[in-house]
Amino acid sequence: MRALWHIGQTALGEWGGAIRSRRALVLLVLYLGAAVLCMNGTISVLGKMETELAAVLQLPDTGETGVVSASLWKSKPFNRMVRSVVGESPVLDDITGRHPVELIYAWFVFLCAPLLAVLVAGTRISEDLRSGAVRYMLVRETRLEWSVGKYLGQAIMIAVALVVSAMGAAVVTFCRLPSGTATSLFLPLINWGLRAWIYSLAWLGLALGISHLTRSPGRATSLGIVAIGIFGALSPVVDFLCASKGAPGVLTHLRMLVPAGAEMSLWRFSAVPLLSGSFHLVILGLTYLMAGAAVFCRRDV
Amino acid sequence: MIGAALITRHLVKRRGRQRALDGLSLSVPRGSVTGMVGANGAGKTTWMMTVAGFLRPDAGEIDLLGGGPFDAARHAGRLAILPQDSELPLEDTPEGTLFRFARLQGLTAAAARRSVREALEAVNLTPRARARIRTLSHGMRKRVMVAQCFVGRPEVVLLDEPLNGLDPVEADRLRRFILGRRGRQTIVISSHNLEDIERLCTHVAFIDKGRVTRMDSVAAITHATDRIAFTLADEPRDRAALAAAVPGATFDWRAPARLLVCTFDGEVGDVASVNRRLLPALLAQTDVLAVASGLSLEEAFLAQPR
Repeated sequence: MRALWHIGQTALGEWGGAIRSRRALVLLVLYLGAAVLCMNGTISVLGKMETELAAVLQLPDTGETGVVSASLWKSKPFNRMVRSVVGESPVLDDITGRHPVELIYAWFVFLCAPLLAVLVAGTRISEDLRSGAVRYMLVRETRLEWSVGKYLGQAIMIAVALVVSAMGAAVVTFCRLPSGTATSLFLPLINWGLRAWIYSLAWLGLALGISHLTRSPGRATSLGIVAIGIFGALSPVVDFLCASKGAPGVLTHLRMLVPAGAEMSLWRFSAVPLLSGSFHLVILGLTYLMAGAAVFCRRDV
Repeated sequence: MIGAALITRHLVKRRGRQRALDGLSLSVPRGSVTGMVGANGAGKTTWMMTVAGFLRPDAGEIDLLGGGPFDAARHAGRLAILPQDSELPLEDTPEGTLFRFARLQGLTAAAARRSVREALEAVNLTPRARARIRTLSHGMRKRVMVAQCFVGRPEVVLLDEPLNGLDPVEADRLRRFILGRRGRQTIVISSHNLEDIERLCTHVAFIDKGRVTRMDSVAAITHATDRIAFTLADEPRDRAALAAAVPGATFDWRAPARLLVCTFDGEVGDVASVNRRLLPALLAQTDVLAVASGLSLEEAFLAQPR
């Protein structure tokens, strides 16, 4: 109970500090801006494409972005064509029929979640190590409590950023799409934001785990970005190797050690894969965090 | 003062090929204010950081409040430290930071608020309690750092250069505050200002090259109870008269400082009685410009064999 209390206190303090820090606010605003621009750009580009498509196919232009794409998406020949390109996939089954604007937003938040985790949280521990602020805490709580508290505080911060960005995107849909469509998109956008948050927890654990290893915030950020690159590249490489004949089974397990290995579970709408993928990502994040914390618990501060 | 609040035995801490602590053994009496005095790099800060658990010792033992080496699970709220070169969270306020610290130490919200108010009053920061730490001057930040040491009344407080960077008025206020804590908390102060150490401390440890070269009460180190130094206008010619006034005492005339040092033991009398007997004999020969019992701590430190 005492440990939980300390973790909660540190998380609240960390969250409060992040809110008060201008850098966190700037990142929040930038992320919100990016989400709004992405959504606005998506609606504009999709609208133009659909207008041109309607003209080529000599269909009546509905004037509403997404209607043509949604119809195309639902059409069986198109569906068969997509399946012949990407293969049979339960993910495809689950997302078929969802509004294209919603899916593009989902792609955007999943793309940005790792960067958001590294940029917002990647320096938090190394900054405290460099400034010595950690010393005031370590006479009051254990190193592990402090690390986990930091993780939770930053996780709350990222959740706020993702929900705010989803709200921003929803506002754009209300401005650019008919109100009926926008209303139907509101909850799905929040839903994708929350899924991206779960995905970001693994990256957050990685970013904070790395941050334990160095007193230099710049180095922590650089290492975090390098880790995103390595981990991001590892997944398709392993996929490629797995596809070749005689590939060792260990490669499949190796893929599960990186967040991308469980990312597609969060694109599912069935409860079992969604929950198991979420659990996998949370445990993965905590494992990365604990690896960094294990080094931190043995080092001089 | 009964027993020791903090004991370190044969503590070793290596930094590369150097030994920052080279078998440092020290026992800090409970309720004392103990000063650590030594040259730069002697190991004072390293010792404090090791006791607080920030540095891992390579060898030796630490016993903090009878509970072994520092462990936050056991000692949270019982030990506080003013570390060197450590910033507080810049975006938080003094009040908010101290309240959070107090809660982590296990105080209830009401007790934490009370303790924070007292600590901020002690360092005269109540008017800036809700300002961001980033906006405070260097001296004010230092006062917040000192205040956090006294939130929740921890049993052992380690202060590394607590008066550095404070203006004379605030330094005096803090000195009086620390004097007020004597006997209630165990305080260890590291400082290069030996006048401060002499004024504030009941005990002193001289540290050199990672070892304690001497540890005793301030009175014993400065010979405050067995030595009187008289600053005189001229050298007294009639030493026999002085010896007759205080039989058993010895006299040493230090011409450059025009200082007559009278040394005696307990059988001869205490400082007050020796002074009472000796002054008339001195005044009969010359003017007495100043009287001080014992040596200054600085003189005692400089007189240490190196």
